[in-house]
Amino acid sequence: MSAETLRTALAREGVDAEVEARGRLAVLRASSPDQWTEARRRAVAVTLAADHGFTHVALELSAADAAVRRD
Amino acid sequence: MPADLSAARVKEAALIALLRSAGDVVVGFSGGVDSAYLACVAVEALGADRVTAVIGRSASYPEEQWANARTVAVRVGLTVREVDTDELADPRYAANPSNRCYFCKSELWSRLRPIADAVGAGVLVDGTNADDLCEYRPGARAAAEHGVRSPLAEVGLTKSEIRALSRERGIPTWSRPSSPCLASRLPYGTPVTVERLRAVERAERVLRELGVTGDLRVRHHGDLARVELTSSELDRWLGARDVAELERAVRTAGFARVAIDLHGFRSGSLNVLEGIVRE
Repeated sequence: MSAETLRTALAREGVDAEVEARGRLAVLRASSPDQWTEARRRAVAVTLAADHGFTHVALELSAADAAVRRD
Repeated sequence: MPADLSAARVKEAALIALLRSAGDVVVGFSGGVDSAYLACVAVEALGADRVTAVIGRSASYPEEQWANARTVAVRVGLTVREVDTDELADPRYAANPSNRCYFCKSELWSRLRPIADAVGAGVLVDGTNADDLCEYRPGARAAAEHGVRSPLAEVGLTKSEIRALSRERGIPTWSRPSSPCLASRLPYGTPVTVERLRAVERAERVLRELGVTGDLRVRHHGDLARVELTSSELDRWLGARDVAELERAVRTAGFARVAIDLHGFRSGSLNVLEGIVRE
């Protein structure tokens, strides 16, 4: 699994997010959390994450001071 | 809820018969949906003087769990005893292996067995239900080793049936979300400490105070709290203003980073993350 390939796949679907891999958990940072109110968009992210080997995908909430690492 | 309660009522009749044949019982009582229903039916089947409910108090559960359990016991007319358990002192438990629950339940049942002997109860029972048999439950082996029976599972009662029957009986726990121990929020291999358990407890409590309803878990990933909500709560909380409130609340519990799981609540989520079970 790779954070970078998931980031690229999300971008293809119009989701601009940085991705941090923590084992099989993908942590996303996106500029506008409100875009995730749409269940369909969440489902897309979950499916893409699964396609890239992640069992879990979570959206980090406005952690402007948290560094995001990429693998 | 099951559409047809008639099958559940048949199972309940079998449960009453099973309990009557067992004699005096000691119920491992958490005040949750399953054990509250079991204790209530046991009182009906045997009479209150032949049923002892025992609360095993442990640091692995939130404080409010015990207050709720006492309240439920009073509502359903149960005799309750309380005993402290200390699974955190067992390094095999504290190391948080994938069979952690085995060591916790071994501690619990080793404390309850002498109570059962003291009150002359031949049978220790727990609230394991038929759905639980399909899940990864290493604690079941400890129960078997201590001769604990699981009457709800034995008669095939599922969680949804237990909720429906509890509702019919007016048992206040019928709609209560499931509440497994706080250690279930820590990935396997992350040592179970009082500090980590209390951080999870604080985070879940502040989210409840904020108005989060339904199933809720705060999973502990070191500096990061991963919040699992039901699908409808995800819809509600991911609005920009609400999500900021949620983040602030979890941070006050001691987490530097807060993330919301986009899949939402999954029972046994960390078993999936660790590859112990597949979805």
